[in-house]
Amino acid sequence: MGMGDFLAQFSGALAAGLLVSTTCAFLGVFVLLKRVVFIGIALTEVAVCGMAAALLLGLPPAAGSIALTLGCVGLLARPFGKERLPRDAVLGFVFVLATSGAVLLVSHSGFGLMDVKALLYGDLILVSARDSLLLWLALPPVLAGGVVFLRPVLNTFLDREAAMVLGIRASRWESLFFLALGLTVAVASWSAGPGLVFCYLVVPPAAGLLLSRRLPIVLLSAAFFAAAATLLGLGISFRFDLPTNQTICVVACAGLVLLSPLRALLRG
Amino acid sequence: MGDDIVILCEGVHVVLGRQEILRGLSLAIPRGGLVPIVGPNGAGKTTLLRAMLGLVPLRRGRIFTPFARRPPGYVPQLKSVDPLYPVPVRRIVEMGLYPRLGWWRRPGREERRMVDEALERLGLLAHQRKVFAELSGGMKQKALLARAFVTAAEVLLLDEPTSELDGEGEREVLRHLRALSVEGGRTIVFVHHGLHQAARLAQSLCWVEHGRARMIAAGAEREPAVQRGGGR
Repeated sequence: MGMGDFLAQFSGALAAGLLVSTTCAFLGVFVLLKRVVFIGIALTEVAVCGMAAALLLGLPPAAGSIALTLGCVGLLARPFGKERLPRDAVLGFVFVLATSGAVLLVSHSGFGLMDVKALLYGDLILVSARDSLLLWLALPPVLAGGVVFLRPVLNTFLDREAAMVLGIRASRWESLFFLALGLTVAVASWSAGPGLVFCYLVVPPAAGLLLSRRLPIVLLSAAFFAAAATLLGLGISFRFDLPTNQTICVVACAGLVLLSPLRALLRG
Repeated sequence: MGDDIVILCEGVHVVLGRQEILRGLSLAIPRGGLVPIVGPNGAGKTTLLRAMLGLVPLRRGRIFTPFARRPPGYVPQLKSVDPLYPVPVRRIVEMGLYPRLGWWRRPGREERRMVDEALERLGLLAHQRKVFAELSGGMKQKALLARAFVTAAEVLLLDEPTSELDGEGEREVLRHLRALSVEGGRTIVFVHHGLHQAARLAQSLCWVEHGRARMIAAGAEREPAVQRGGGR
């Protein structure tokens, strides 16, 4: 089977992968800059737990994923400055509970091994037309919103108090950002798998930050890096019959590792 | 509140954690001119400034300001700007134009001229493309001052705007502040650590100690310094 067959057979996975990767990479730049990487991994696990719960209850898994993830965003996005426990402690608690909860929920569900694996690890290649529809309904508005509202979001994250003095409703923009992040993670985890989503939230943005010290270029390079890793990973997994998600993750990580010497080389 | 008063604090109590920082503070800041806020460490100077800006909740009392109609220019302490964000100095200064531009409109010719003017005033025009986080402390402070200047606000509130500057840099910035208040008729309220230097700049000072404040005439500043010097 050649590249033509590959494109014909997996065009849905390819389009979904490009959409998920660029959206997550865009949001991931702010996840890294805001130092809330742990939120990314916790939310992906919560999304899986929501799917498992929904499947057991006979509900649409995506609905379970979105409901639980957005509920969790509401808990995690509020300011933790005055709490006795730091945000990371609560995130750790949520992560452990969600990870264990998801396994417990599926362990006596009667699902087959393949179903359980697909649920817990996901597989971009298995993305269905219905998943694609959900992705195309949810992610383009998130990406467009991120571009359109970049100025107030950046001002809020850069210098919250000065932003408030300038009339920016910082809490509103922070909540909107976390809602967008929660929705993206929930929908993308259901379609593409939680591990891959977390990879997109962290690795391409890190590459973008290594490549440039200008935010618009960081955002563009992160999205481009994520898309390139997806294309290359899909191609390699197809050529060598490897698990798709893990191949994309390894390709992205290898790209990031190679970036440092490449930068040094280019700078002479 | 009379026309000659720009900020009026009445019986302001601020509690942070378990500590009462401002204790029934009453104060009237006159319109126009420089108003240094001075006092010993831990007296509540920064808290008073933040209370005027609406950044800390009041336990009791009221503060009247014109900021709902027209936001003030504000220079926070340096640590308030996250150093991880890769943004150039010009972008930081443009942030001051937010009330004018809103969330979408790009800076036009007039706005670009305002930014250029603020950058030039503080000697930052040549550094406008540098990433903010990579500047020295003094340069960062000047960039934040440029952001406050570009707002064209009637009132500027500055929290130790010269703390990272060397002697010459501090004198230069204080000259700019005086010029802004005299030529532009702006009210510039700023937390300052040097009592006598502040007294040379302004006609009156706001003396803060033990969570209370009072305006004192410049020249009479030796009195509180001698009677109440030292930390809380």
